Amino acid sequence: MEVQLSASLGAVLDGAESVEIDGFMALPGGFSRETFRFDASIWNGSTTTELPMILRKDPPAAVAILKTSRLVEHNLLEALRANTRLPISRSYCAEMDPAVFGERAMIIERMPGNGQTSDLFNNGPDADQVDDVIRHLCEVLVELHETSIDTIDPDQALRDPRAVGIDPSTWDSYMDTTFEYYISSYPEMEYDPMMLLLLDAFLSLRRTKPRAMPLSIVHGDFNPANFLYADRKVTALIDWENTRIGDPREDLGWMALMDVLSNTQVMAHPEDEGGFLAYYNKLRGLDITPEEIGYFTLFGTANIAVPVNAAVARRARKEHTEFLHLYLVQSSAPALMSFLSLLGYPGVPT
Amino acid sequence: MITSPTIDDLLEGAIIALEADVLPALDQPKAQASVQMIQSILQGVRQLLPVYEPSLVLEHNEMNAALRDAAEKLADVEGPEAERVRERAATIGAEPDMAPPADAEAVRAAHRQRTEAVRDCVYDLDVLQREGIAAADESLTVLRAMLTSHYLNYMATFPMQGGMLGRG
Repeated sequence: MEVQLSASLGAVLDGAESVEIDGFMALPGGFSRETFRFDASIWNGSTTTELPMILRKDPPAAVAILKTSRLVEHNLLEALRANTRLPISRSYCAEMDPAVFGERAMIIERMPGNGQTSDLFNNGPDADQVDDVIRHLCEVLVELHETSIDTIDPDQALRDPRAVGIDPSTWDSYMDTTFEYYISSYPEMEYDPMMLLLLDAFLSLRRTKPRAMPLSIVHGDFNPANFLYADRKVTALIDWENTRIGDPREDLGWMALMDVLSNTQVMAHPEDEGGFLAYYNKLRGLDITPEEIGYFTLFGTANIAVPVNAAVARRARKEHTEFLHLYLVQSSAPALMSFLSLLGYPGVPT
Repeated sequence: MITSPTIDDLLEGAIIALEADVLPALDQPKAQASVQMIQSILQGVRQLLPVYEPSLVLEHNEMNAALRDAAEKLADVEGPEAERVRERAATIGAEPDMAPPADAEAVRAAHRQRTEAVRDCVYDLDVLQREGIAAADESLTVLRAMLTSHYLNYMATFPMQGGMLGRG
């Protein structure tokens, strides 16, 4: 692996005469990609530069939770770096030949900061920083949502990155084609018919479309585990593989749900601004309501639920033996409570 | 309750994961032995689960009969020991036999069939709701009210421990 990493980096780093790889090791985080950390020592003939790096590798196709392209992610990161002030990793290269690293992969800069974001909450060691960090996180999200789509996505790779028929030419067409994607995908994700709660959600979403809002670039997995922080600031927003054109309320809704599942309180901060939604509305001059966040919690969850549950269904059919997928059956169960509540099921405890 | 993956699928998955993901990363012999013991216990539970309740009932009924038969053999014997044997036969051993539990696989299949029927109703009701038929809203509410307790029971009996593990 070290030899391939050295060769790949040597080919993309200007002036590199040799690249030495140290400390290559797997990282536990991340459900959808295999992630490894390492350090690269770059020798340019006169000086050595040390660069902290990450290898993000696709899992084998059968166990893949999200089937996304490392090349699209690479191009996105570089476009965002060139055109925004967002704290994101430099992407050095995307290797689309699976023979090189065993699967398609990308090499990105390893950003500084604490990724154990649970330290900010529940009287954790960094609880004193939470308001400032989440304030900055909100500002970062606002900048992403207000970034010009055409500037970041000139090749239109983010319009329908899963190639499932999404048409974001207007807000209505985006919503309608996404409903069709969700509903038509249900049979392949149904590992048990008790998942009809999701089907009920998909059908209810289509029946109760909210007011329109300009589409934007959405992160697609904006959740409490996908940022790093240090010294009261966000140092990196990470995991951009599910980024696409969408309704910005999707990021807010998904964070609201993952906040509950992760036992964090991102949405309650910054406290002096009345919480994340209130501050987001203030920065953007919008009036997004909690009810809309509820709608997009279901809508945004569906976007992740479709591929994730399809992967779990493949595990239930024993097409592979990855354990994570069985764990997802258990770990996604608490989301049911949010679904029951948001859909107005009778008898749900408040 | 979900019927797929089955409880056996979950246990089998844990055994496989211990073998593939955990054992290769352990270099302490004691830890390796512990993992193998855990695998052995899990495999035992896999085999025990489907027969446990039927076996208890079968053995319960066999003990009832044996207590009565054993007492009968002592019909001509006197003394406190023989009296106590007859007393047990007349009390515990005389209680009615238990009915054998329903076949677990048959229960699972029947449950699944009904869940699929409810799901198919949700599809049909959506068509009616989009046509503006108010009764379809009420019909869906009936199904949802029934499902609420099922989902709450599922969440209560198969709870996640801690936050979503492995995500930082």
